[in-house]
Amino acid sequence: MAPIAAGRTDRRLTVAACAAVLLVLPHAVLGQGFQRTLPPVQMGPRQPPVAQPPQDPVETVEADVSTRSVEVTTGFTGHEILVFGAIDNSQQPESRGQDQSGSSYYDVVVVVEGTPYPVVVRRKSDVAGVWINTSSVLFASVPSYYAIASTRPIDQIAGPGVLERNSIGFAHIKMTPGGGIKWKLSDYELSGFRAAVIRLKQAEHLYVVEAKDGVTFTGRSLFRSTIALPANVPVGPLVARTYLFRNGEVLSAHIARVTLERKGIERVLHDFAFRYPFTYGMIAVILAALAGLLGTAFFRREVA
Amino acid sequence: MNIYLPIAEMSVNVAVFLSMGCAVGFLSGMFGVGGGFLLTPLLIFMGVPTAVSVGTGSMQILASSVSGAIAQYRRRNVDIKMGLVLVAGGVVGAAIGVGLVRILRQIGQFDLFVSLSYVLFLGAVGGLMMIESVGAIRRARSGKAVTARKTGQHSWVHGLPFKMRFKRSKLYISALPPAAIGAFVGFLAAVMGVGGGFVMVPAMIYLLRVPTSVVIGTSLFQIVFVMGVTTLLQAMQNKTVDVVLAILLIVGGVIGAQLGVIAGARLKGEQLRFLLAALVLLVCLRIGWELIVRPGEIYSIGPLLGGI
Repeated sequence: MAPIAAGRTDRRLTVAACAAVLLVLPHAVLGQGFQRTLPPVQMGPRQPPVAQPPQDPVETVEADVSTRSVEVTTGFTGHEILVFGAIDNSQQPESRGQDQSGSSYYDVVVVVEGTPYPVVVRRKSDVAGVWINTSSVLFASVPSYYAIASTRPIDQIAGPGVLERNSIGFAHIKMTPGGGIKWKLSDYELSGFRAAVIRLKQAEHLYVVEAKDGVTFTGRSLFRSTIALPANVPVGPLVARTYLFRNGEVLSAHIARVTLERKGIERVLHDFAFRYPFTYGMIAVILAALAGLLGTAFFRREVA
Repeated sequence: MNIYLPIAEMSVNVAVFLSMGCAVGFLSGMFGVGGGFLLTPLLIFMGVPTAVSVGTGSMQILASSVSGAIAQYRRRNVDIKMGLVLVAGGVVGAAIGVGLVRILRQIGQFDLFVSLSYVLFLGAVGGLMMIESVGAIRRARSGKAVTARKTGQHSWVHGLPFKMRFKRSKLYISALPPAAIGAFVGFLAAVMGVGGGFVMVPAMIYLLRVPTSVVIGTSLFQIVFVMGVTTLLQAMQNKTVDVVLAILLIVGGVIGAQLGVIAGARLKGEQLRFLLAALVLLVCLRIGWELIVRPGEIYSIGPLLGGI
């Protein structure tokens, strides 16, 4: 058996073949590094590939995003990014589908989070018949965007403790109240403000739970998930976190980043307005005056 | 087709905003008003942040009044001296207004302030205009002659110092009242995103007794300059002038205004005033309703603007 052919065959066969080569080649030629990459092998007669290894290798998840950089231009109407990945050492049965209990062997959760930024939440109340902002809470850091996709609803995947530690799910988004609260709010009141952030962000389509089957498996180790960034997604780097779950525990996690940048005339205008406010203002004034003059001049000619 | 507004930071439909500009332009062309009091609430209603609506509104008003001001100047209907006094006051008022916008945004009361101002001013102006136009229509029906304005009447205005001679207005009065009117209008322009013609024109006619022939031209003169300054100040201090949004509204507005002028020529003055009064009162009621009815969502979120 030639070592070249080994790549196509089962891992166990490769190991056996390499082991065979090891026996005949001088030790010095191969070096230590090569040996270390090999998993521990039982020497001896070739074993059938179906046999279970003595210890399960640790599964790890690797993932990436289809688009590393999304450009928000003047005509930006949203963008769909594909988060895909594979499970190394997957032990998922080939013909998986959904088993009797309706659960899969592994669960994958993909969380795409926008840059955290400070948010002021205000609450109106009825003051003499008029609805006025009367109380406010500053959350020092709230994700500008939060999308979650998973193989199953997350509460079926893991318990609240695990979800909380990894900030998976709307209920576990990290939101720390910042300074500037003028009076002490009770936990109940604070939770009202927290819930409002989530509700309002959801209404703006900035906090999204991807529909059922947000993450789908292809074969035994490949998975994919599409996350639709809305047109109003705030610019800034996005972090795509991929979690691999088995029996309610996180086996492995992976982080990928997407940059979300303003590009084109839109970026130029926004940056210009904030960097050179005086020049921007002057241009706005001249533009308005010119537009008004040109517009009427144009129509006067048309009418006359 | 959608377009992303760089300052409002939202994606909007080009056709919708063009036709909005067109509709407001039509009404302003028909009634001979700036239309800021219609446009700004409409922008807010469409989800544009209040501060951006107000800031961008001043740019749109500048564009829509500049050609009118030049036409009036050519017809020698502008009292430059009076106009400059009004502008001087207007600039001070606008600066105060822009500063107030910044403070109100920080404490989260800007939207409320804008709404209350609209209810107050539109209610008062619309109500007065309604009463006046209904009276005029009745008088026209009964066939009585419209009583001419009595000239030479003196009021408390004439007792103030810093008297100036305004030749074209045929007035010798203190510079303080026009400066104060200009300042008040500039302030309104900055906080409400309006031209302020609806306050300035009646004030000039009834308080200063400026001849009607120069009132429109002079107020347009003031509006152009004060709007220019306001646009600049809003861009510098609040960064709330969205050039892309303004261009959409201006293009739509110019088209609409031409059509509005044609439509307006077919109606009588008092009928126009009655319709305008009805429109003003409707906008007033709409904004007022929002203030008193229990909102569907009592919470709101916004960015941190240097304090809460």
